[in-house]
Order: sequence, then structure tokens, then C-alpha cells
Amino acid sequence: MPIIVNLDVMMAKRKMSSQELAQRIDITTANLSILKTGKAKAIRFSTLEKICQVLDCQPGDILEYQKE
Amino acid sequence: MYVSAAIGFIATFFVPSIADWYDEITVGSGLIGGSVRIPTIVGLYVCEVLAFAILWSLNKLLANIDRSEVFIPENTVCLRRISWGFMFVGFTFIVMGLWRSVFFIPATAAVMFGLVMRVLKNVFEKAVEIKSENDFTI
Repeated sequence: MPIIVNLDVMMAKRKMSSQELAQRIDITTANLSILKTGKAKAIRFSTLEKICQVLDCQPGDILEYQKE
Repeated sequence: MYVSAAIGFIATFFVPSIADWYDEITVGSGLIGGSVRIPTIVGLYVCEVLAFAILWSLNKLLANIDRSEVFIPENTVCLRRISWGFMFVGFTFIVMGLWRSVFFIPATAAVMFGLVMRVLKNVFEKAVEIKSENDFTI
């Protein structure tokens, strides 16, 4: 997919573990891992909102578009 | 289901006598006519093999549903097998209908049922797709 999830980069910048992030945005670690590995097909606005809130960033910091 | 499988298995040994009996009580009224003994034996054996295949698929499908794994690709394969099974049973009956035209009635029923299963399979396939999409929406 041309949409790339850069969640791990942002998590590293904020020095946050997967477990902590999953807990704070209220999703399971399995689902967070799906998101991080780029297997996800879609992301809910509510999830994106919580991620941005917890990591204190913009959606553009997490998602990136690259031409195929 | 196991009862029908057992009945089917027992009936295997009586296929020639069933064919003899059927040959005696009917007169030729199909395209070919004459003795219907051999075609009945062959047809019944073919149908029996197909029936066992269908029962086996059905058993697998029910076991999966029991484990609440409903929308998985394996179930689509099972439904596909069942649908083709009914189609082939229908074709076998059509061939048997060349000797006795009364066989066209069960043939129509089997092909009809096969088509219904085919539609069901396509619906299921779509459902599997939608479920995977839903599962990967975080």
C-alpha cells in the first residue's frame, strides 16, 4: 500500500513502549502490532485521534503517502 | 448426519439388488429404454461417492461453525465442494434419465439445490472479505 504507517518512529521519539501506548489509547497490543507492521487496511478517526493525543503529534507525523 | 452416513454405507451392499428390483418394477420409457440394471448400479455408486463427499464437507463446516469460526476461507471451500457435489449428482441423474425419464425430476432438484448452494457460497466469500477488512480496521 502506498500509505506508510510511521508509528514506531514517533513512538521512539516520545520514548514510549508498545504496551504503554496500547494501554493509553485503549486498544489491544495485537491490534497495535497490526498497525505498526502495516498490515492494517484502515484506521478509525477515533483511534487516530487518541494516538495523536497521547503522542502529542499530527496525523501527518504518523501517516505518510508514497507513490508506488 | 452420522445416521445418514451409516445408512448410505449399509445401502452400498444392496445397490445391485436395489437395481434389480427397480429394473423389475419399471418399463422403459426414456430415450434409450431397455434394461436399466447396469446404469442404475453405476449411477447409484457415483451418487453415493458424491453423497459421502458432501456429508464430509458438511461435517467439516458444522465443526468449524461449532468452534465459532464462521467466516473463514475454509468454509467457502466446503460450500463450494457441496455445491459441485450436488451439480454432479444432478448430471448423473440426467444421464440416468436417458433410460428412465422419471430421473429428470430428481436431476432438476439436485441441480437447483447446487445452484442455491453456489449463490450461498458467493455470499459467504464476500462475507469473508468484509470480515477481514473489518478485522484489519484498527
